Amino acid sequence: MIDINTVITGLGIAGNQVSIPLVQQMLDLLPEIPMVKLIISFILWKPFFAALICPGFTTLGILLLFFPWIERKLCGRIQWRVGPHEIVWWLGGIIQLLADSLRFLFQEVIVHKDAHRPYFLQFPFLTFIPALLPLMFIPAGNIVAIETPYAIQIILAIICLFPLFILGLGWASNSRFAFIGTVREAFMYFAYEVPFIIAVLAMIVLYGTSDPVGIANKQTIWGIILNPIAALTFFIAAAMATSRMPFEIPEADQELAAGPHVEYSGIAFGLIYVLCYEKAYVLAGLMAILFLGGGSGPAIAGLGDLSGVIWFLLKVVIVLTTLFALRTIYPRYRLDQGLSIGWGALLSLSLIALALSIVLVQGGVI
Amino acid sequence: MKKVTVQEQGLGEKVVRHATAIGVAMKESVYPLTATVFYPRERKKMPDNLRGYLMFDPDKCISCWECAFVCPANAIQMKAAPNERYYPTVDYGKCIFCHFCVDSCSGGALKTTKIHDVAYKDMDEMLTLTEEMIEEPEIIREDKKSVEYVIDEHDLHLKRVREVDTLFVEVTPPVEIPMVSQCIDRASCIGCRVCEEVCESGAISSSIERGVLRMKIDTDKCTGCGLCVKECSMQILRLVKK
Amino acid sequence: MATAIGESEWEVAVPEKPLKDKVYFENLKAKVIDTNLCSRCLTCAAICPGGITVVENKVDFPDYENQCLDCGACVRVCPRFVYEPKSGLGDYIDFIAGRSKRFAGQDGAMVTELIVSAIEMGMIDRGLFAGRDDKWATEMFHVRDPEQLAITSLGGTKYTFADVLPALKEAVRFTKRGVGVVGTPCIVSGVRKLQQEFPIFREKVKLVVGLFCTENFHYSDISKFLQEKGVDFSKLIKTDITKGKFIATMSDGEKVKFKVKEVEEIVASGCNVCTDFTAVESDASVGSVGSEKGFSTVIVREGNVREIISYIKEKGYADFGDAKPEELDYLINLKKGREKNIKRD
Repeated sequence: MIDINTVITGLGIAGNQVSIPLVQQMLDLLPEIPMVKLIISFILWKPFFAALICPGFTTLGILLLFFPWIERKLCGRIQWRVGPHEIVWWLGGIIQLLADSLRFLFQEVIVHKDAHRPYFLQFPFLTFIPALLPLMFIPAGNIVAIETPYAIQIILAIICLFPLFILGLGWASNSRFAFIGTVREAFMYFAYEVPFIIAVLAMIVLYGTSDPVGIANKQTIWGIILNPIAALTFFIAAAMATSRMPFEIPEADQELAAGPHVEYSGIAFGLIYVLCYEKAYVLAGLMAILFLGGGSGPAIAGLGDLSGVIWFLLKVVIVLTTLFALRTIYPRYRLDQGLSIGWGALLSLSLIALALSIVLVQGGVI
Repeated sequence: MKKVTVQEQGLGEKVVRHATAIGVAMKESVYPLTATVFYPRERKKMPDNLRGYLMFDPDKCISCWECAFVCPANAIQMKAAPNERYYPTVDYGKCIFCHFCVDSCSGGALKTTKIHDVAYKDMDEMLTLTEEMIEEPEIIREDKKSVEYVIDEHDLHLKRVREVDTLFVEVTPPVEIPMVSQCIDRASCIGCRVCEEVCESGAISSSIERGVLRMKIDTDKCTGCGLCVKECSMQILRLVKK
Repeated sequence: MATAIGESEWEVAVPEKPLKDKVYFENLKAKVIDTNLCSRCLTCAAICPGGITVVENKVDFPDYENQCLDCGACVRVCPRFVYEPKSGLGDYIDFIAGRSKRFAGQDGAMVTELIVSAIEMGMIDRGLFAGRDDKWATEMFHVRDPEQLAITSLGGTKYTFADVLPALKEAVRFTKRGVGVVGTPCIVSGVRKLQQEFPIFREKVKLVVGLFCTENFHYSDISKFLQEKGVDFSKLIKTDITKGKFIATMSDGEKVKFKVKEVEEIVASGCNVCTDFTAVESDASVGSVGSEKGFSTVIVREGNVREIISYIKEKGYADFGDAKPEELDYLINLKKGREKNIKRD
C-alpha cells in the first residue's frame, strides 16, 4: 500500500500547487477517495496547470473556437453587417467555428501531384511547435510552466522561427500562387522582425530583466505608459506578424488567392487557418506581460492564484480584440507600402523607443 | 501625364484622422447600424416598378411582336396560341430583366411584379410558357416583416414593419393617346393598296373611278394600330394625334 | 420630312392598261420583258410593293397571278414601257477632261471624285457605288465617308448589271441631305422616271452621274464566257474595252485579249435596243472616250455638277484638260444605229 501523500511529495509537486481558497475546502474533502487526490494535485501543479489549462492548451483551444467568431461578429457590427448568423441563430451563430472545423475535419485533404508530399503534409502540424512552445514561457499571473531568466529571448527566438514554417508550406505546395505568397511573406518577415525585436529589447533594457514574472512584478506603472512608443511599435509589428487585414500582404484574396496555403484543403487548411490566431495569442500574451503588467491587478477575493490568471486573460482578450478590429478601420496596404512602413517608420520608432528606454533607465525612473 | 498626388497632411491632422476612424469603429461596435435584411424571414419593400418576374395579360396583347423584337437577350419567343394568335414566352435562362419588353408593350399586356427570387430546377423549366405567365405564380413565403430603407442625413437605417408586402403590382393603364394614320405625301403614293389589305378595322377604303384611284382613311374607324404605317412601301403614312 | 398633319383622303392617277383584263405586271411583261425591250434597270423592282425580282437574267414576278397588287407602279416608272429612245451627246454646259489626284480608278476616277466631293460639300450624305465580291459579281455599297473608298473594288467598270435602284430606294428612306447615284444610261433613265413620278425621289436624289455605255452583260453570261477564255476570277483586277478589244488584266500582269465581236453574242438583249451612249438625262456623264489616256471625259449637264467641278478646282483635287467631243461620234452613231432594232407596234 503506497501512501498517496508520499507519492506526491516524492514527485515534487506538493509545494508548487495552485492555491484557490474558494474551493480549497472542497478539495480537502476529496483525498478520502483514493486516486483523486493524486490527479487533483497533479492538475494543480503549477507547471502542469500552465501547460494544460492556462495559458496553455485549454485556454488556447477555447480561444481558437470562439475568437474567430468574436472577431467576425465585431467586424460585422462595425461594417453594418451581421456576421455569422444562421448556425444557432438565437445565439448569433456562436458555434460557427465548431461547424467550420467539423467541415474541415471531414473534407478530403487533396495533395496535388506537383507538391512535395511529405513536407506538404508535415508542415501544417510542424507549425504548431513554434505556435505552442512560447506558451511554456508565458506566465499567467505567477503560473508558468518553465521558469527561466531568459524567457523573453526564448519566446522571441521561437516566434522568429514561425515564418520559416510558412515558407516551408509555400515551398512544399509548389504552386505559383503559393510561391508568390511565400516570397511576400518573406519580405514582410524581414520588414517587421527587426523593429519587433528592438521594441522588445527596449522593454528588457527598461526593466533590466528578461524574466516575465519579474517584468510583471516590476510594473508598478504599466510599460505602455512608461514607453508608449515601444508599445505602438510592438503593436503594429504584431499586426504585421499575424498578417491580418491591414497587412494581409502574403495572402491577398484578390491576386494571390490564399497565398502560401492556397493548395491546402480539409483539416490541413483548418490547422493553417488557426495558425494566425495562435500567433496572435502568443503575441498578445507577450504584449500583456511587457506593457500591461501581466497578471497584476486587484486581487479577486477567494480566487487566489486564479485572480492573476483572469487579469492576464482579460488583458490578452483586449489586445486581441484591438488587433482584429484593425481590419475594419484601415484599408489593406500594398507590399511596397508594408515594406516602407516596416523599414521606415517602424524601424525609426523602435530605435526612438530604445533610446527612450535608455534615457528612462539612466534617469532613474525605474 | 497628370500625376495623382496625395494631399499632404501634418502629423497632428493625421493623428486626428486616425483617432476619428477608431472612434467611429468603437461607436459602431457598440451601437451598430446594419444594412442586412434577413431575407427569407423578412423582405425588403420593393418599389412598384421593380424589374422582376413578368406577368402577361392575353386580353390586352395585340400580338405585335414588339417585345420579341426589342428583347436584347433574345429571351422572348412568340408561340402560336390555339386562337391563331401569337403570344410571348419568356426564357428566364436568357432574360436579363431589362424590361424593354414591358416598356415597349403598346397594349400594356406585359407587366412587372415584385418577385425577384425566381429559382428553377433545370434549364427546361426556365422557359416560361404563356399559360404560366397569366396566372400568379405560387410562392412559398416565410417572411413575416417587410423592411424599408430609410436614408437620413448621414446614415442608412432599416425600418421594419410587421406586415407582409404584396408582390403583385396593379399597373395603372397607360394613357392612350388617340392616334390616326394619315398620308403625308400624297403625290408619292403608288396606289398599291397594301394599307387597305392589312387594315384590320376596315378604316382604309379605295375606289377606282375613270383611271383615278381614291384612297380614304376613315378617321373614326382607325384605331391607330400602325400596321399600315409599317407596311406602306413608300413610307408615306404616319400616325398623328387625332 | 413629316408634316404635322397629313391627309386622310387622296387620289392617285392610275396609268392606262393596254391589256385591259390583265394585271399591270402582265402588261409590263407583255410589252417590255417578252419583247426583249427590258434593259434590266430594275426600276420596277425598286418601286414594286410585291415581288418583282430577277429570275435567270430576266425581270420576273413569280406567282404574279396571286401576289401582284395591280397598282401600276411598275408601269408608271418603267423607262421603256413607253419608249422614247434618246441618243446623241445631249445638252451640256461644259465638256472637260479630268484626272483625280486623290483616287485611282479605271481612267481619271472622276466618278468617285464627283461623288466624294459632293459628300464633302454637303450636297449629299451618301453615294451609291457598285462594288464586287471575290467572284466578280456586283454588290451595292452606301458610301458615307471617303474612307470607305478604301474598298478598291468600288472604282472601275464592272461590265455586269448592278442592282442600283433597289438600293436607291433604301438609301432614299434613310438619307437626310440627299443621295448621289452612279449608273449606266438605262439606270439614269429609271432614276429620272422615278423622279418624274414620285416627289420623294425628286427631293432626295440630288446627284445622278451617268456612265458612257455601249453594252452590258449578265453576270452569269460574262463569267461563263470569261472562264471559257481562261480568266481566273480570283486574279482578275480590271476589265476594259479599248479600240475594239476586250482586255481582262490579271493581278500577275497577264492580259487576256479578244475582239469585241466575240463578246457581242452574249450582250444583254435590252442593250440591243438602247441608243443612248452618253446618258443624256444625267446631271453629268463620265467616261474614258474623248480624252487622253489617264483622263476621264466629263460632260457637265446641270448646275449642281458645275458647282462640284468648281469646288474640285478650288481645292485642287483634280487636274483638268481638254476633251474632244468629236471622238465620241463613232460610238454615238454606233448606238444610234441600234434604233432599227426597236420593233414598233
